[in-house]
Amino acid sequence: MTDRIVLDNVSKFYGEVLGVNRVSLSIPPGITTLVGPNGSGKTTLMNLLTGLVQPSSGSISVLGLSPSNSTGFFREVGYCTQFDSFPRGLTGRQFVLDGLMLHGMSAAEANRLTAEALARVDLGEAAGKRIEGYSKGMRQKIRLAQSIAHHPRVLILDEPLNGLDPMARAESLALFEELGRQGMHVLISSHILDEVDRISDRVVLITGGYLVAEGDIHAVRTEVRDQPMQVLVRCDRPGLLASRMFALDHCVEARLQPDGKGVLLRTGEMAAFYALLNQVAAEGLVRIEAVAPADDDANALYQYLIGSEGSAS
Amino acid sequence: MPVYRHIYRPYSGRLTPAWSRSLVLTRYGLAEAWSSKITIALFTLCFLPVIVSLFGIYLVNNPLARVLLGAQRPQVFTIDAEFFLHDLQAQSWLALALASWVAPRLITFDLADNALPILLSHPISRFTYLLGKFLALFASLSVVTWIPCLLLFAYQGYSSPGAWASAHLGIAGGLFLGAVLWITLLSLLGLALSSWVKLRVVATGVIFAAVFVPAGVGAVVSAVLRTRWGFLLNVPVMMTLLWQRLLDAPGISGADLPTGAILLTLLLVCCVCLGVLNARIRAREVVHG
Amino acid sequence: MPRQNGPTLRERRVHPPWGLWWIQGRRLVRIEVRRNLFSWKAGWIYVLAFTPTLILAIHAGMDARSARDIEGDTEVLARIVQLFYLRLAIFFGCLGIFSRLIRGEMIERSLHFFLLSPVRREVLLLAKFVAGSISALLLFESAIVADFALLYLPFGGMAWTYILNGPGLGQLAAYLGVAALACLGYGSVFLLLSMIFRNPTPAAMVFLLWETINPVLPSLLQKLSIASYLRHLMPVAIAPEGFFALLTVETEPTAAWTATLGLLLLILAVLVYACFRMRTLEIRYTTE
Repeated sequence: MTDRIVLDNVSKFYGEVLGVNRVSLSIPPGITTLVGPNGSGKTTLMNLLTGLVQPSSGSISVLGLSPSNSTGFFREVGYCTQFDSFPRGLTGRQFVLDGLMLHGMSAAEANRLTAEALARVDLGEAAGKRIEGYSKGMRQKIRLAQSIAHHPRVLILDEPLNGLDPMARAESLALFEELGRQGMHVLISSHILDEVDRISDRVVLITGGYLVAEGDIHAVRTEVRDQPMQVLVRCDRPGLLASRMFALDHCVEARLQPDGKGVLLRTGEMAAFYALLNQVAAEGLVRIEAVAPADDDANALYQYLIGSEGSAS
Repeated sequence: MPVYRHIYRPYSGRLTPAWSRSLVLTRYGLAEAWSSKITIALFTLCFLPVIVSLFGIYLVNNPLARVLLGAQRPQVFTIDAEFFLHDLQAQSWLALALASWVAPRLITFDLADNALPILLSHPISRFTYLLGKFLALFASLSVVTWIPCLLLFAYQGYSSPGAWASAHLGIAGGLFLGAVLWITLLSLLGLALSSWVKLRVVATGVIFAAVFVPAGVGAVVSAVLRTRWGFLLNVPVMMTLLWQRLLDAPGISGADLPTGAILLTLLLVCCVCLGVLNARIRAREVVHG
Repeated sequence: MPRQNGPTLRERRVHPPWGLWWIQGRRLVRIEVRRNLFSWKAGWIYVLAFTPTLILAIHAGMDARSARDIEGDTEVLARIVQLFYLRLAIFFGCLGIFSRLIRGEMIERSLHFFLLSPVRREVLLLAKFVAGSISALLLFESAIVADFALLYLPFGGMAWTYILNGPGLGQLAAYLGVAALACLGYGSVFLLLSMIFRNPTPAAMVFLLWETINPVLPSLLQKLSIASYLRHLMPVAIAPEGFFALLTVETEPTAAWTATLGLLLLILAVLVYACFRMRTLEIRYTTE
C-alpha cells in the first residue's frame, strides 16, 4: 500500500462549468494546505478525493485505495465537510456513534471511540444535546469529531476553522499539528492562511480550477522568482546594513523598521544576499540579532500567485 | 469641531404607488414560475383539450363535415352545456397540475432561502406580498381555464348559425364563475400548502394529495357511515356538482349535495388556507418600529 | 487502532464480506426506521394510514347494534383497501417515505454522511429500501388489520364464524399480502424516481396516471404497472362503476402466483437499476 494521495490528471466538469482541470498531485503524509479563492475548486477537489463527485477524467487513489471501494476507503479516510447540515433529531453523541457503528465495530468499542473523539474536540456536555441547538462553532466541532473518531490515516478538512472562536481555533490547530506529527495525512482548505500557515508542511495553490503551485512552502516561494524575497534583519545599525546590502544588484528595496532596530530587505537572489550578510556580520560593523524571511508563507504565496483574482482573509 | 460634508441625499424620485406594489411581486413571481421548462411543457399540455374542442366545434359548424358525420351520429357532436362542462373539467384538472408545479416555485424559494424577511423589510405588507403571489398564480391559471373556455364559447357563437351565443349566455357565465371559483381555491390552497411545507419537492406532492386523499377519506366516510356528507371532503365531486349546476348541465356525478353546503365547505377551505398563509408569513415578518 | 491492509479486489469478489454487510445493513435500517416512524414529521403518514380506522371506530361505536349485513361490509372493506389504501394512502405514503430516503436527504444536505461511511453504496441503498418498506408495512398493515377487526368484530359470533370458518381470514391474508406487495412495488419505483429526478412528484403523478389508464393499454404495457399485478390478487371483486372501473376491473385474468412473481421480478429489476444509479450518485447540494 502506497502512503500517498495521488491525483492523476483529474478533471471535473459540471456540465459546461469547470470544477477542476487536469490536476495532478502526489501528496505525502503531513499537513497540506489547499489555498485558493472562493470558487477556485478546493471543495470540488476534496469531494473528488472522497468520491462525493466522480471525476470527468483522470484517476484518484488515496493510500492506494479508490473511493469506489467505500468499505476499505472510509476506514482510512475521514472527511470533515463544510456542509453545515446534519441528520434530523440526533444528539452530538448519537451522530458520532451512528457513524462509528457503520464501521461494523462493537457497541462498546464505538462508545469508547465516541467518548475519545468528543473529548478531543472538547465538546463537553453539549454532546448530549440535539445538534439543532448547537452554535456554529459546536457544529464545526461535532463534524470534526465524527471525521476523526475512527482513527483515519487521512483526514480531509474543508474550512475546519470556520465559525470557531480564537480559543477553539488554536485548539483545533494544535490537534491538526499533533495528527500531522503522528504521520497522518491532513489536508486542510482554509481561508485563515495566517493560522494554518504555521502548521502546514506544504501548500497546494489552486485558482479557477487550475493548479498554480504545490510543494513545500519555502521551495514554492523560492520558485516565485519574479517576486523578490523579503527578509527582516534585526540589528543595531540598520541604516549601515541597508547601504551595504544595496551594493548587491539584486537588492531592490530596504525599509527601516519604525523602532530603528531592524530593516526589511527585498532581494531577488537569496544566495548572494546571505553571502553578503555573512560577510557584513563577520566584519563586525553591524551586530545582527535575528534574520527571518518575511514573505515565506502561504499568505504571501497567495498574494503573489493568485493575487487580485481572489481574496483570502 | 468635526466637519460634516452633507453629500448623502436620500432617494427622492418617483415611487410606485402603494396599491400597485403587489404587481411588482406578481411580475417577479410570473418570471420565476415561467422560467422553468416544465411550466412551459405543462402550459402547452393544457391546450391540447382546447385544440380538440376547437376542432370539434369547427366540425359541428362546418356544413360539409355535418353532412359527412352528422347524418350517422349527430349526438356525438352536440355543442351544449355538457360539452362545455367536459371542457371546463379537463381544463380545471390540468390547472391543478400546473398549480402544483407553479405555486411552490412562487413561495417556497422565499421561505427556504430566508428571502422573506428581506422582502418584508421593504415597504411591502404581508397582504401585499400574498396578493402579489396570489395574482401571479391566479393569472397563470386563468390562461388555461376560463380564458380558453370563453374563447371556445365565443368561437361557437361566431361559427353557429343564428343567435346561439345570446341564447346560451348562461353557459358563458357558468364557465367564468365555475373556473374562477376553482382557480381561487387552487391558488389559495397551493400557496398555503407551499408555505406550510416549505420544500418545493414536497409541496408539489402535498398539493395533489390535499385534493385526492381527502376525497378518498370522504368516500370511506360515505361508504362506512352510509351518508352522503362524506362527499364534502371530496373536492372533485363537489366541484363537478357545482359546475354542473352553474352550466345547467345534466348530472354526470352520482353524488348529491346541496349547493349551499358545497359553497360553505369551499369557503371554509379558503379561510383555512388564508389562516395558514397569514401564520406562516407573519412568523417571518420584520417588525417595523 | 491496529492497521492491516484490506482485501484485494479479487478476494472481495471471491469472498464478499456478507457478515459486515449484514451488520451495516441492520444498523442502517435501525437508524432509518427510527427517523421514518419516530419523528413528528412522520405524523402525516400515521394520519393517512389510520383515518379509515378512525372512521370505522366511530362507526363501530355509533351503531354497533344496528342491522348490517356482513356481505355489504365485506365489499366496503374491499373498496377501502382497493380504492383508498392501494390508490391513495399507500401510493402517497410510499411517495413520502421512499422519496425522503435519498432525495430528502439530499434536500436536507445530510446524505454525504452516509456516503462518507465505510458502507458499500448498494448496501446503503438496499438498507434504506428495507427500512422504508418496514416503516410502510408496519403502518399500513397494522391499519388494515385494525380496519378488519373494527369492521367485523361488532358482528359478534357471526364475525368469528365468518373469519375462522368462512373466507374472512383468507381475505385478511390476501389484503395484507397485496398491501405488502404494493408497499414494496411503489416503494421501489419512488426510490428510483427520487434518484433520477430532483423533484420526483411530477414523475410520480405521471406514474399515477399511467397506473390509472393501464387497464386500457396493450397487454405488454400492462406488465409495467404495479396496479395491474395487484388487481389479480384482490380477494373480493368490486362491481365496476364509472371511472372507478379503471381502478378495479381485472382485464386479463392471471393466476395469483404469476402476478406475485411478476411483481417481485419488476421490483427486483427496479432495485437493480437503482443500485446501478447509486454507484454514480454525486453530491451536488447547490443544485437541490
